[in-house]
Parts: sequence; C-alpha cells; structure tokens
Amino acid sequence: MITVNNLKKSFGDNEVLKDINLQIKPQEVVVIIGPSGSGKSTCLRCMNLLESITAGEVHIEGVNLTDKNTDINQIRTEVGMVFQQFNLFPHKSVLENITLAPIKVRKWSKEKANKVALDLLEKVNLSEKANAYPDSLSGGQKQRVAIARALAMEPKIMLFDEPTSALDPEMVGEVLDVMKQLAKEGMTMVVVTHEMGFAREVGDRVIFMDEGYIIEENVPEKLFDFPSHERTKSFLSKVL
Amino acid sequence: MQGLYDWILNDSGIRIDVIIEYFPLFMKGTLYTLGISISGILIGCILGLIIAFGKMSRLMPIRLPFVWYINFFRGTPLLVQILIIHFGVTPLFIAGASPIKAVISAIIALSLNSAAYLAEIYRAGIQSIDKGQVEAGRSLGMNKVQTMSYIVLPQSIKRMIPPFGNEFITLIKDSSLASVIAAPELLYWARAVNGKFFIVWESLLFIALIYLVITLSLTYLLNYIEKRWNIDDNR
Repeated sequence: MITVNNLKKSFGDNEVLKDINLQIKPQEVVVIIGPSGSGKSTCLRCMNLLESITAGEVHIEGVNLTDKNTDINQIRTEVGMVFQQFNLFPHKSVLENITLAPIKVRKWSKEKANKVALDLLEKVNLSEKANAYPDSLSGGQKQRVAIARALAMEPKIMLFDEPTSALDPEMVGEVLDVMKQLAKEGMTMVVVTHEMGFAREVGDRVIFMDEGYIIEENVPEKLFDFPSHERTKSFLSKVL
Repeated sequence: MQGLYDWILNDSGIRIDVIIEYFPLFMKGTLYTLGISISGILIGCILGLIIAFGKMSRLMPIRLPFVWYINFFRGTPLLVQILIIHFGVTPLFIAGASPIKAVISAIIALSLNSAAYLAEIYRAGIQSIDKGQVEAGRSLGMNKVQTMSYIVLPQSIKRMIPPFGNEFITLIKDSSLASVIAAPELLYWARAVNGKFFIVWESLLFIALIYLVITLSLTYLLNYIEKRWNIDDNR
C-alpha cells in the first residue's frame, strides 16, 4: 500500500533521511520509534509530501508521489494525517473543522458532510462538542477532533505524527483508545510515537530509526524483548 | 447665549458668512474627498493582495517586480507620484484638462500608493499564521487556493484590521494632496476661499474639522468591527 524506495531527504546540508526502504501492507499498523532527530517525523511527512523528497521514491497504492504528473491533492485525500500540535482551525467550530474538506474537496453536500461528521464525533466520544470552538477544548479533545477531521475524508491510510506528545499525561489514554479502535477496524496506519505500550499492543510491526536510517524492524514482541542491534538496545533501555 | 451667537456672527470678525456661502461647495468637496478615498481604499485593497502574493512568490523573477513596486511607491513622495501620474500617465488616455481628470489621477495615484503599503500588511498578516494551519489544510487534500481562502485569510484578516485602519486614515488625509492638481476636494475649496477672501483660519479649520469627523468615524467603525469579531471568537 505504501512503498518507500531509497528515500533521502536533506534540509540544506543536513541529511535527515539517508536511505529509507519500507513496505506497508493494507490494514497493517506500523509504529516508528526512535530518538528525537532520528528522522522519523520527516519520514512520515514524506509519505504525503508535506516534505519534498530529495531523492528516492514514495509510492502510495502504486502512484509515484515524485512523478510530476501525480495530483498530490488527490493522493492526500486518501492519506489522512494527525499532527502533534493538532492544527485545528481556530476560526471554525468542531463540526466545521470536520466538514470543511469533505465539502470543498470531496464536493459533498452540507447535509451529507454533517451527518458523517456527527457519526465520527460519536465515535470519538465528542458528540456534545459539535458546536464548540477548538479554543474551548482540552488537548485530548482537540486531538480526537483532529482524528475525526482526518477520517471524514474517508482515507485509506492514516499517518500519525506524535499524536500524544503534546498532551497532558492524563489525556494520552483517550487518544490512544481512539487509535486502537481504528486499528481494530482495519485502518492502515503509520504511527510515529514515544508510546511504547501502544507500539507493543497495537503495532503489527515496529520500526526503529536512528540518524536517518532504519536500524531494525520487527514484530513488537521481538523488537522490544530481543532487539538485535546495540543502538536499539541502548534506546530501549532508556525509554522502557 | 444669544449674545455670544450674535457677537460671533456680526462683531467678532470671524467670517462665518463665507463658510455659510460656500457651504454647498465644501459639501461637494467632502463628497469628492470621500469618493477619492473610498475608491483608493477599494482598488488599493485588491491590488495590494495581488502584490502581496507576488512578493511572496518563491520564484525570484516573479518576486522581483513586486518587490520594486513596493520599493518605489513607499520610497518616493506621494506628492511626486501624484504629479507624475497626473501630468505623465493620465494624459495618455484622457485629453485636455478637467476636474474629473484630476480626480481620476488622484484615485490612480492613491490606489497605487496604498496598494504598496497594504501589500505589506497582507503579507505580514498571512505569514503570521502558524504553518501547521497550512499543513493541516493541505494534508486534507485542499489545494493552495482553497487553503489560503478558507483557512489562512479568514484568520489573518482579523489581525490585519488595526494596521489596515491606520492605512485607511493615512489615505483619507493624503487625499488632500490632490488639491495641487486641482481635484475639487476639500482642501481645494478651502484654498479657493483663502484666495478669494484673504482669510485663513475659517476655511482651513472648517475642513480640518470635516477631516477629523471622517477619520474618527472610521476609527469607531473599525473598533466596532474588531470588537464584534473578538466576541464572535469567544462563542
């Protein structure tokens, strides 16, 4: 579903991704872990071209993102993204946040978009906040709205960029619960996170990145309990 | 009270009668001042937005002319610009001399000049919005234009209102420069009265008062809009 071949990414002289190769299958939940500055967020952001690609290729369902003829907006409708800082639209209500893109991009009627949005709000347990504004929500509520907003486009893939890193500890659980539910329903997910418990419980595969390389990837039980590389061991010993 | 009124009118030496006699012309001047200013603001706002996007272009050859447009109109005196346009540009499409021609010259000059300042206000406002907002919009499949018009501009316009207000007030006052090319606006009539009756205070203070009423009204209007917007935000 996602294929990454020899992906390289530089910011000026700073090479952040050095040689990334990756395959993600439909309905798979892949968790990317690693120290800060390892390039994991950048890698994720290359998968919907929020970061331009310096070299190599990313294919989403067989479509090459770096091809000049690729309509990136079309691809992005199929690839939802959830950000660390939520990035809700502060001038729009919760309902409007969710319905904006379906109405403007998918050209849905307002009625259909509202119906889908209300269903999604029920799913993330925020039905009563439909007419609230983002400023009045807690961090955990904001992130659940952000997930609902991404899901409203009915994407085939969801990318999560450290979705719980900006949350107060007591709000992490409510966001992870929504993500677990989503994984159970068979969504293809790529999750960059520091939540090792989530990685172990929900991940089909865990990828450890450091200094722009994929050091090791495996099913969570093996990667967490029997890491084969020194770097993985030393990282896990610090975070577990 | 009646005594004071009579004194001012008859014995003070203040030529109220001149103001009264020329009152219709002062009102006509007020309309021209308002017309020139409002046209300048409207055209300047549209032009300024285009220039702002031009200046934000990532392509140097596109950016450069817009950068120099702003440099020129901010870096040279408005009075000089008015004279260049009136005697250089407007004659290219309007022949002869007429008050309307002067008014058109004034509108062109004020529009082009304010566009340069407004462009910088637009740019600052747009660039003040967190780039996460753009990323969120783009990640949902919205194109650049949709992201700009539904997400960035609505948020930045609120931040632009105070500097826009300053610019509008400056523009209204600067419209008085059009008197040098004989556009029949407020200062033109005040100076006509000066010349005819050899009086200074009456006409100049009178039009100063009119300018003050216009600019203060605008200030109150903008404060009201800003306050309304903030209340809307805290729903």
